Amino acid sequence: MSVVEANPFAPPEPGRVLPPPERRVRAPRRPPRPVPPRLPRPTMPEAASVAYTAMLLVAALAGWALLQLFVLGGLSQTRAQQVLHAELRQQLAAETAPTGGSITPGDPVALLVIPTLGVRQVVVEGTASGDLTAGPGHRRDTALPGQAGVSLVYGRSAAYGAPFRSVALLRAGDGLQVTTGQGEFVYRVDGVRRAGDPLPAALDAGAARITLVTSEGDGPLASITPVRTVYVDAMLVGEAATGPGGRPAGVPDAEKALAADRSVLPQLALCLQGLLLAVAATAVALRRLPGRAVWPVAAGIVVALAWASTDAAAQLLPNLL
Amino acid sequence: MTAFSPRRLAALVVAVGTVLLTGVVTAAPAGAADPVDYRQTKTLTREHVATDGTTTTVDSREVTVQVDRTQSLRGRERIHVSWSGARPSAGRSADPYGFNGMNQEYPVVILQCRGVDDASAPEAEQVRPETCWTSTYLQRYAAGVVSAGVWRHDRYASDEDRADQETLPGWPAECGLLPGSVFAQHLLPFEAASGTVYPSCSNTTIAPESAIDAALPPADIAAFTNLDGTGDVQFEMRTSTENESLGCSSEVPCTLVVIPIMGLSCLDADPACLQTGDFAPGSSNLSDVGVDDAVSPRFWWSESNWRNRFSVPLDFALPPDACDVLDSRAPVGMYGSELLNQASLQWAPAYCLRADRFKFQHNRMPESSALRLLGTGDAVAAFVSDAARSSTVDLAYAPTAVTGFGVAFVADLPDNAGELTQLRMTPRLLAKLLTQSYPATNDVRAHEGLENNPLALNTDPEFLELNPGLSTVAAEAKATILSLSEASDVMTAVTGYLAADPEAMAFLGGEPDPWGMRVNPSYQDIDVPREDWPMLDTYVRESTRECEQLIRSPYLGLVAAPVNSLRKISEAVLDAWPNVQTQCTRSTTTDPWKFGRIARQNYGVRFMLGLVSLGDAERYGLRTAELRTAGTGPGATFVAPSVATMSTAVAQATQTAPGKPFTFDRTSLDPTGYPGTMVVSTAARVSGLDAADAGHVAQFIRTATTEGQISGPGNGQLPDGFVPIASTGPTAALYAAAQQAASTIEAQKGPAVAPPTTPATVPLGAATGSLAVRPPAPRSGGVPVGGTPQTVDGLPAPASADVEAAGPSGTTVAQESGAGGTAVKATLGLALAGVLGAPLLRSLATRRRAS
Repeated sequence: MSVVEANPFAPPEPGRVLPPPERRVRAPRRPPRPVPPRLPRPTMPEAASVAYTAMLLVAALAGWALLQLFVLGGLSQTRAQQVLHAELRQQLAAETAPTGGSITPGDPVALLVIPTLGVRQVVVEGTASGDLTAGPGHRRDTALPGQAGVSLVYGRSAAYGAPFRSVALLRAGDGLQVTTGQGEFVYRVDGVRRAGDPLPAALDAGAARITLVTSEGDGPLASITPVRTVYVDAMLVGEAATGPGGRPAGVPDAEKALAADRSVLPQLALCLQGLLLAVAATAVALRRLPGRAVWPVAAGIVVALAWASTDAAAQLLPNLL
Repeated sequence: MTAFSPRRLAALVVAVGTVLLTGVVTAAPAGAADPVDYRQTKTLTREHVATDGTTTTVDSREVTVQVDRTQSLRGRERIHVSWSGARPSAGRSADPYGFNGMNQEYPVVILQCRGVDDASAPEAEQVRPETCWTSTYLQRYAAGVVSAGVWRHDRYASDEDRADQETLPGWPAECGLLPGSVFAQHLLPFEAASGTVYPSCSNTTIAPESAIDAALPPADIAAFTNLDGTGDVQFEMRTSTENESLGCSSEVPCTLVVIPIMGLSCLDADPACLQTGDFAPGSSNLSDVGVDDAVSPRFWWSESNWRNRFSVPLDFALPPDACDVLDSRAPVGMYGSELLNQASLQWAPAYCLRADRFKFQHNRMPESSALRLLGTGDAVAAFVSDAARSSTVDLAYAPTAVTGFGVAFVADLPDNAGELTQLRMTPRLLAKLLTQSYPATNDVRAHEGLENNPLALNTDPEFLELNPGLSTVAAEAKATILSLSEASDVMTAVTGYLAADPEAMAFLGGEPDPWGMRVNPSYQDIDVPREDWPMLDTYVRESTRECEQLIRSPYLGLVAAPVNSLRKISEAVLDAWPNVQTQCTRSTTTDPWKFGRIARQNYGVRFMLGLVSLGDAERYGLRTAELRTAGTGPGATFVAPSVATMSTAVAQATQTAPGKPFTFDRTSLDPTGYPGTMVVSTAARVSGLDAADAGHVAQFIRTATTEGQISGPGNGQLPDGFVPIASTGPTAALYAAAQQAASTIEAQKGPAVAPPTTPATVPLGAATGSLAVRPPAPRSGGVPVGGTPQTVDGLPAPASADVEAAGPSGTTVAQESGAGGTAVKATLGLALAGVLGAPLLRSLATRRRAS
């Protein structure tokens, strides 16, 4: 059975005449409907007005902070991961990915994939609050993932994309895949460890374990108000790699679990000053210029400064949040 | 030549007679004040033979030579050679070393030669002029118009030596032929240890080590004898490590040849040979004009001079790499203080050459780094002087050596009057040098705060008052003291010495000294004591030099240019080669400029200071300054380092608790004790150390504090510059503490819990970098049952829960922090309150108004 396809190039069939294009005619403009005069808004007494404005302002600021921590932070973390992933890919291809020695905090060191949870994150070096905003962080005084010994990887459970939100749901036997400059390593989860649980068995010579560390809370707001650490241990399947040495022997307090990074305070002060200046300048400009001229310029600046300020302030919160 | 002529026969008879008469060696009288290894007296004469066969004795001297050390010598070690009864020298040159010392009259030539001076030894092992090292070929090769060839008239020389050498068979083709009727030549080839013969008649026929820009300055010397016939010199030894061609080592015996030049004994009435010198005894020859050949050191090899030699047999120690060569076991590395370097050099063979001991290896590094290696388990023991500031493990400290730091100096007196032998330093002078408060050049007077300071140390009235008689010409090298760039307990001790002195502290605080000199503002109020001395000055000099305009480098930092080891400082002082890096250099005119080290200082105008260890100072024969301990002005007390003054000081060292290091309270030291004294302790963990390693450390401490404290140059003995630790006397407390610490370390039952049987060392130090897997830190009660220890170091105990801890009995401890939750809840609350409250408030406010 054959199908005859219509020839698109065939001349139009006789008798089929295209109608002339219709001219669009605008309907005559209707006279504007008279707007009923707005009732004058009842004015508040001055004290109440001030309180009202203040409350709105506080609500806006607090709302912004929450928005940033839990929504916008996630966006920026996703972006950071993309950049880190590209960088790590390039380093793996060029065989320049770090294998030991002193690694600059914030540099990517490994790609961590947890298939059962759908987690695919680039692990950065360092566990200070600021490092963990980009992704899970490798604690600097422990062995690198894939190398013999114990590696600690910290990750946030609530804010900034919450990469380790669900690692506590891992079950024994689940697999973890880690890719570093020394190859691909597969770990099997031994279990989740909370306060009071027995510590894992002693490591044999040459064996390697990775311990994922995050935090969890309790109560109705458990998912956004974590209070204590939780550990997930996973043993390396196969042979561990060795590194060139020269690793740091200790880390500052700000890089320990649930620690805050107070070194950010000067930066925070500067950001807040900038924000104050920008707001003041906007207010002054609004008195002289129409709002539609001021806001397009001011909004970007104010939002950027508010963003930076919140990012800095977030580093004063525990790093596993 | 022809048959014996009667004249020659007569000369021979006279020669034999003279040898019999004058070559009498008298035994050295024992019991001299200083310990000497060699002492001999000989009668030396200069006797000419006249044409009629009669002899004329021109000069006869009874010369005594003594040498302080001849046993177990090491590379670049300087030994003290002194003599008396020699003919006073004349025409003293500014630099007596190598060829520069040739234009002097009647000096004492001192050379290092391979071989023994023993007629019964095989000829190849005998010392001959051919095996003596000279730093230039001009000291071996003679050429001149026939009439000036004084060696051709030496009555003791062989016919061959007196002959027209180039006509003899065997004249090397590399050496040119001069018309024999006009010029005479004499060759003295150098025979290297390898058997190679270097004709040594030109720059291209010499041994490689004698090149003009050789790494080491010349050691061979034509030393000056004073008007009273005495003289002394520090002679630097060269082993096969420094001079392979000469090749002296523990296996190849060598000889120090000391030849007091008496002048050639002449065969005939040749006027050149009969000369007795142009210069008056004791005079200088600073313009380096030529001298009378017959009495110059240039013909030291001519038989008249050579036969007058004193041959001092030399014995060399094992080379520094002996243990690496002779012992194939893996070394047990101990890390830390450089103060111990000379001791560990002598101690190492006493361990590695014995099967019942281990292979001891001392690796120098800053003490704080060594202590950190103890924490990570990469080192079994550390040599330190101060306690660890913070340590994650418990350590025991065993006093192992008493030594210290010194301010080494080399300084020449003006007008060729020899070397300065005594220098006095105050803490404030040290502070001035370290803080770069001397501007060094007039350009730097533009530096704020240095406008009225003296240019250099030797123009500072405070220094001149203490050390009169030195040249007052300022120079860059005189404005600084070469010091350490690295962190070190030595710097802690030096700055502690400053901190204990009110004058120095007032100066550092900004008060001017009585002459108006002020501290460099960059260093004002610097914290002392401190472990390292930073380079803080940033002043860049305005200079017309192109390189300084292109490379903007802080000038006073280039002048100070500290180095990273005390050994380098010692060698710089030994060579009188300051490390001032202000020389502009570039390889070609198209290359970029860079800063390089200035040239070695010339003899006669040397002046340099360096911070050294006392062990190094003794080995290299460096002079060390007397340091002020008490008082000010003329009544001040200055103390030089010696066993007595260091013993006085060490008696005041105290321990804060048993097992802790001995340290000094420098503000209350005895004024007669040397303030640079330091105690070096061996630190090791008291728990968690592998049993074998713990045993090695304990054995080391016990051996080092017993047989290692016997002073001497031999293997396993204590070198000079150290005070022996004994079970009695001022060091008794140190001895007792060391034995106790050895037991604590051996037992490994310190406060921390250790596994009862330590399994084979887990090589995780190598596997994971510095993160070794360790025995567990003490945790809530848990003692792991067997198994491999596994705590990551560097973590405080409470935090170790999240790392790893012991086996089955340990439990996880979660870290808690409500800060995050509280902050989030509070923010949420505020947001809700605002969002809900504001409209409520508004409606309330407007309603009230409407009603």
